[in-house]
Amino acid sequence: MKRRVGGLETEFGLVCVRADGSRALEPEEAARELFRPVVAMGRSSNVFLGNAARLYLDVGSHPEYATAECDDWWELVAQDRAGERIFADLAARADERLAAGGQDARIHLLKNNVDSAGNAFGSHENYLVDRRGEFTRLPRYLLPFLVTRQILTGAGGVVRPGSPEDGGEAQFVFSRRSDHMWEAVSSATTRTRPIINTRDEPHGDPTRYRRLHVIVGDSTMSEVSTRLRFATTDLVLRAIETGRALPELALADDIAAIRAVARDLSGTAPLPTADGGTTTALEVQQRWLDHVTALAEPEEAEVLEQWQRGLDAVRTGDRSWAATHLDWAIKERLFTQVAERRGIDLGDPAIERLDLAYHDIDPSRGVFFALQRRGLAPQILSEQRIEAARTTAPTTTRAHLRGQVVTAAQEHGVDHVVDWTTLRLTRPGAMPVQVMDPFTTADEKVDALLEEIRAAGTAAAEMPPA
Amino acid sequence: MSQQSLNAPGAGGDDESSDEAVTGGQTFASAQAADDLLDEIDSVLESNAETFVRSFVQKGGQ
Repeated sequence: MKRRVGGLETEFGLVCVRADGSRALEPEEAARELFRPVVAMGRSSNVFLGNAARLYLDVGSHPEYATAECDDWWELVAQDRAGERIFADLAARADERLAAGGQDARIHLLKNNVDSAGNAFGSHENYLVDRRGEFTRLPRYLLPFLVTRQILTGAGGVVRPGSPEDGGEAQFVFSRRSDHMWEAVSSATTRTRPIINTRDEPHGDPTRYRRLHVIVGDSTMSEVSTRLRFATTDLVLRAIETGRALPELALADDIAAIRAVARDLSGTAPLPTADGGTTTALEVQQRWLDHVTALAEPEEAEVLEQWQRGLDAVRTGDRSWAATHLDWAIKERLFTQVAERRGIDLGDPAIERLDLAYHDIDPSRGVFFALQRRGLAPQILSEQRIEAARTTAPTTTRAHLRGQVVTAAQEHGVDHVVDWTTLRLTRPGAMPVQVMDPFTTADEKVDALLEEIRAAGTAAAEMPPA
Repeated sequence: MSQQSLNAPGAGGDDESSDEAVTGGQTFASAQAADDLLDEIDSVLESNAETFVRSFVQKGGQ
């Protein structure tokens, strides 16, 4: 597909501590406090917002934000960051209420993927793919790419001794997520977590579309990393969809490979292939990059260039670009500096605390934002654009329709229920409006619904107070 | 409706050095920026790092 719709679901870690760092509230209780204004607004902890995103409380008391459908990857990054800001404000307001109630308690929301006991939570990428595109053939080509892309878009981190495959010292890795992957492709999400999830919920016309659900990614703080995750995967999907010959790089064991790639900062460790040979993470990535170069659009030149720069950083060891642009390399430099300064090794709890602080979404407290302010991490999107994305849906997809309906219903105080495909008022007899094509940006039935909302709002306003 | 209240101003971001980010590539290599950052980080790490880490235990998600 030349134009593709995608979306990003982010689960946040949640911890509520006293000033001394000890736990003040259990996660369930902290989540309830966090969501108080959401429930007051939508009578539910599962709501769609005026920017057409979904905000909800997921299994395990993880606050979750799912961006609206985007067909531009910078727009997706803006929508994702807008979600961070919305949650950061909810946390700040919850802290104020707790303080006003005399409680020594502060909520931290962490956009990472694992807690200190090793429980994992996700960053799930969704890509619209054509139903006719031979979904069965897709994993064979996509998996080697997904297994190795962590050398570009991994969030970085430290694996400590005590983890299954590590006997010795703590070591820096491209991604800690790799240790929480147990299968290549399946319909599970929690018990045996796969790289590609095959749950078939297209959120669109099922005769035309499928939703590819990639759950191997790290939550990324760098806008460059997040954009590259989507832009490179989109290019690879487009290459697969051409039906032409593709790099044959199927790996003998995807799960063994993903763990080996995480730990090999040189990118050159041999990975056994399905046909009995070997390859490396760098080779897989370089071959895909070379392959998609021919079909990239002119406006994608920057994606190709940054992809190459990221691979070069691994190949040559020269991190000068990567260490200010890609999460794993920003963290690698930062952790090394802090460990040296304090005379500790990477396994020290201070480094684990620093890793959590890097992913803290509070704009004033989070270490990633401190790096940004000092020019040590990229700041591509303007504050105005991020602010706008908090209230305005993407205008080039179906999200535009959902955003208008939610915004109008909220403005006029009209009760409504929406999901990814359906828009409906809750009054008895109201007819649901379905929008099955994610590319639709105008629809007469939605226009009529908007009229109905405005009329209902006006009628309510004109009613004398009871 | 309280849609507005979701969009109350953020809790900060008004760091003293916020101008640096827009001055371009030169600051990327600035040793001063890195030193300032490490000083700021020290204050995070000196306050109960280990206790904080242990407090962050949650059931898995997804």
